Amino acid sequence: MHFLFSHSKSVITAIVLIVLGCAWQLPQIQIDTDPENMLVQHHPDRVFHNQIKQTFALKDVIVLGISVDKALFEPAYLADIDAVSKFILANPHVVHRDVLSLSTVDNIKHIDSGTLRFEWLMKEAPDSPAKAIQIREAALNIPLFKNTLVSGDGKASIIFIPVTDKQKSYEIAQVLREFISQLPSAPHWYITGLPIAENQFGVEMFVQMAISAPLAGLTILGLMWLFFRSISLILAPMFVAIATVIITMGALIGMGFTVHIMSSMIAIFLMPIAVVDGVHVLSEFSEKYDGNSDVKYTIALVLKDLFKPMLLTSVTSSAGFLSLLLTPIPPVQIFGAFIGLGILVAFALTLVIIPIYINSMSAPSLQALHRIHTNKGAIQHLCSVIGNLAMNHKSVWVGLAVFVCAMAIVGMTKIQVNDNPVRWFKSNHEIRIADAKLNEQFSGTYNAYLVISHTGKRQSVAQLMPTNPPAKLKPWIASLAEDISLPSLLNEIEDQLFLNSIETEQWLLEFAHTVEQAIGSQQIMLQPDVLKYIDTLEQALEEQAFVGKANSVIDIVKLMNREIVSGNQSDYRLPLRRDAIAQLLLQYQSSHRPQDLWHYVTPDYRQTLLWLQMTSGDNKTMSSVKAFVEDYTKTNPLPKALKLQWAGKSYLNLVWQENMVGGMLESLIGAFAVVFVVMLLLLRSVQLAVIAMLPLSISILGIYGLIGFIGKDYDMPIAVLSALTLGLSVDFAIHFLVRAKSHLEQSKDIQATLEYMFTEPSTAIVRNALVVAFGFVPLLFAPLVPYITVGFFLAAIMLISALVTLLILPVCLHWLHHKTTRRYEGLNYETH
Amino acid sequence: MKHIRCWLTFLLLSLMACCPQSFASTSPTEAKKWALKAEKAAYYSGNTARSQVRMMIVDGQQRKQFRQFTLLRKNNVENADQQMMVFFSRPAEVKNTVFRVEKHAGNNTTDDRWLYLPALDLVKRIASTDKRTSFVGSHFYYEDVSGRNIREDTFEIAEDKQSEVSLLATAKLPDSVEFTSYLVTIDKATFLPVKIDYLDGKGQVYRRVEAIETKVIQGFPTVVKSKVSDLVTGGFTLMEFRNIQYELAISDDVFTERSLRTPPTRFLK
Repeated sequence: MHFLFSHSKSVITAIVLIVLGCAWQLPQIQIDTDPENMLVQHHPDRVFHNQIKQTFALKDVIVLGISVDKALFEPAYLADIDAVSKFILANPHVVHRDVLSLSTVDNIKHIDSGTLRFEWLMKEAPDSPAKAIQIREAALNIPLFKNTLVSGDGKASIIFIPVTDKQKSYEIAQVLREFISQLPSAPHWYITGLPIAENQFGVEMFVQMAISAPLAGLTILGLMWLFFRSISLILAPMFVAIATVIITMGALIGMGFTVHIMSSMIAIFLMPIAVVDGVHVLSEFSEKYDGNSDVKYTIALVLKDLFKPMLLTSVTSSAGFLSLLLTPIPPVQIFGAFIGLGILVAFALTLVIIPIYINSMSAPSLQALHRIHTNKGAIQHLCSVIGNLAMNHKSVWVGLAVFVCAMAIVGMTKIQVNDNPVRWFKSNHEIRIADAKLNEQFSGTYNAYLVISHTGKRQSVAQLMPTNPPAKLKPWIASLAEDISLPSLLNEIEDQLFLNSIETEQWLLEFAHTVEQAIGSQQIMLQPDVLKYIDTLEQALEEQAFVGKANSVIDIVKLMNREIVSGNQSDYRLPLRRDAIAQLLLQYQSSHRPQDLWHYVTPDYRQTLLWLQMTSGDNKTMSSVKAFVEDYTKTNPLPKALKLQWAGKSYLNLVWQENMVGGMLESLIGAFAVVFVVMLLLLRSVQLAVIAMLPLSISILGIYGLIGFIGKDYDMPIAVLSALTLGLSVDFAIHFLVRAKSHLEQSKDIQATLEYMFTEPSTAIVRNALVVAFGFVPLLFAPLVPYITVGFFLAAIMLISALVTLLILPVCLHWLHHKTTRRYEGLNYETH
Repeated sequence: MKHIRCWLTFLLLSLMACCPQSFASTSPTEAKKWALKAEKAAYYSGNTARSQVRMMIVDGQQRKQFRQFTLLRKNNVENADQQMMVFFSRPAEVKNTVFRVEKHAGNNTTDDRWLYLPALDLVKRIASTDKRTSFVGSHFYYEDVSGRNIREDTFEIAEDKQSEVSLLATAKLPDSVEFTSYLVTIDKATFLPVKIDYLDGKGQVYRRVEAIETKVIQGFPTVVKSKVSDLVTGGFTLMEFRNIQYELAISDDVFTERSLRTPPTRFLK
């Protein structure tokens, strides 16, 4: 303390330098909006998802739709679609060959006299209504396109735009919007898709950080001014808050972490928390300082009293946030870790800055500070009202608490775990509107991939080789790599055969034959029974709610079969011969877009992918689809040597949600344990520690019960709230119990103590609750729904747990006191 | 004996052969001269040819696929028309799949194409609005295999060096092709086109066809290994020609529908 005052200038300079140093890191901010990052880089499901994206050349896709009220297939609209398609193809950040649009796909068609025709579906915009109708008929005749490229009612069409780099999608979307705005059909276009949504997140996160966080600062400032009516008093805690935010965010960014949707709320979380300690010190100082006493001495006195409760409330709050480290979701971990550390930084800064600040205050300012203490405000009045209620209706509060807990448990069983990143936008957002429109008219813009792979091992070169190789071939055999692919091996054998040696020919032909057979047995996705199984599964899946469509190589085989055999729908079926399937697929590859095949099956035919289009991005939809497939494979076992795995964004969302639910329980238990241990150390009584945990437990139970009853989805923001509110709201109980305990030790009269508690101590608790709660209110005006959720529930939990603290703790203390006294009396009686 | 060139070179040459009616801006006579030489070497060389072809298709992920087939070709003595047969032998499950082509080199004519699928025992006529469809999943277009009709392009000399000459070609109907232009380099000694670069609207080369290896067979320079590269994805297809023979006595009835179901096995060995 002495050091602080004697070196105040250098200490302040050091702090300012640290703050500036951290502020200097801020411009390097990197926004991360990729939901994939909810899983760690090496998470098996994420690794598999990316491997599948690579294997099947799947890119992030911008979805551009046009939807009109009457008929879309009119020359004018088609001309616009064609113009937009050509404009898209000219963009260097677009994967040209995979753009799906009426203008870029092939129409493979059986026409008269046994002719098969390959032609672009819409080579150029049609010049007559009749030709436009022809294009509609052709598109709807191809099941892969129906309700994917063109809506079944012919009123809408989608252009799928795969992008080379999703960072460019905002740029692509902007030039597209500009181009479309000049078209006659401009009002009918809709744009969505994950890369667009992610980019939009980033933009709106900046809005939140640039507007909501300063707004929170202003709200806190205004609130404190209402409480203390002194700018000079509240300036120091505000400085602590701002310094804390800058140091924490600067450290986060400087250490190379990206700012995710959770971390973007760090400022708004830290500000009210950081202010609270300073308010305590100033309040206490104003109480102890009589206008003439020695400033330094008073400060020392104040800190002696407050150090322990401040340390403990900081530790418990910090523990609440740090417990998020137990949740295996990196952005949540970073959020928890940095707020947890930020709280400790705020604690340290408060201890350093506030004393120096008070010490440097002029005499008139100090006088003013003293006068604040004598002001009685509305809050104090409110506290005495609460006090009366608490003291006079004890049984009502106990009954109510028990009732709330009971109901809460019922409510919690109704909790629906669900999330949907698109719903993070408000319902009137451009993306939500496009999303709703396109999912109403098409098979769905949400993707999941069901991947079926061959697990059988291939034979080694030695196993495939006939016995007694000719001596002449020994050097060649020795040169063959053990892991050579079977088709390459066959090639090598061909090369040897080509050397035309009679003595080796027979042996080589035999070798070639076994290798060919081995290749055949590996090409599992050409086998009719396997395809038949997948076909039935696909049809069963399409009957599920929200599964608009399942697309697979089977749709290609059936299409080719129909168009090659007769063009009649009765031939839209799987041929039962392996060679027929292979030959149909070879013909498919003679189109303008042979590469489309490899989005569904690998060139070695050992792995295939079912593309599930779903009309809902809800995790519960994905969850039920996944459960359906699990059940299905139980009653209909997969063919031998096959395995089934999931990939796709919708599936990844489900995975991290499951991680989150499990992880949050651990976080909650972890935070609860840490807070309870701190309570034990502080209060040195198991009973008091249990009592201390009661208000927050009741509040959290109540809130989650309510969530269950009103049917609000248990999503990421809601999940994150539990652990951290535990750390925040225990502060009220700490302040209440510490002060009640020390008062009771002196007064020995529980009634007097409780009456005292509803004067000064309750006022401080209510002030803090209001500062923290109102600090979160600006989040209600944020552009993204998770912010609003967090703002609303945190504010609600803060206020409710403060109220519960004030209503329940007196009852508990009263009861505990009577019980202890009776026991002492009993003991006394026995000793007599 | 007629001056015979490997019909296989025609495969590449045809892409840059000059139409008599076309006049290039810079040096029409010179461009025409080269194109005519190349055209003559390609189109009017030999009555028949046979080759065993192996294609290795490598995609952007370095995954390989193979196709193996035998090509038979016969020229029409009166005009530039040709007959072709493609008999597949590998992969095993597409064995005996056959393409039959009647190439018509006249003005405004399209080729006649048929397909035989043994597993379905079906013969289909193939119609296509253009010839820029993939040849059985390779990076070659059907047109690269059958030959682009020379009347569809105009040529001019882009560069004339000691041993090579480059012609810049543009399609007369730009909407019918995906390229904006292509640049073909002809070896002056052999008249073989050794490289064709396809350019997009921005002047970027996105596709390249190259002669990787040439040999003199039966006295004539022949491309025995050619490669087409997709410079965007990094994928490519390597085509190797083996057992090349010219002037085999292949009768006309081999090039009829009859051979679709009963391949002329003696030419396929």
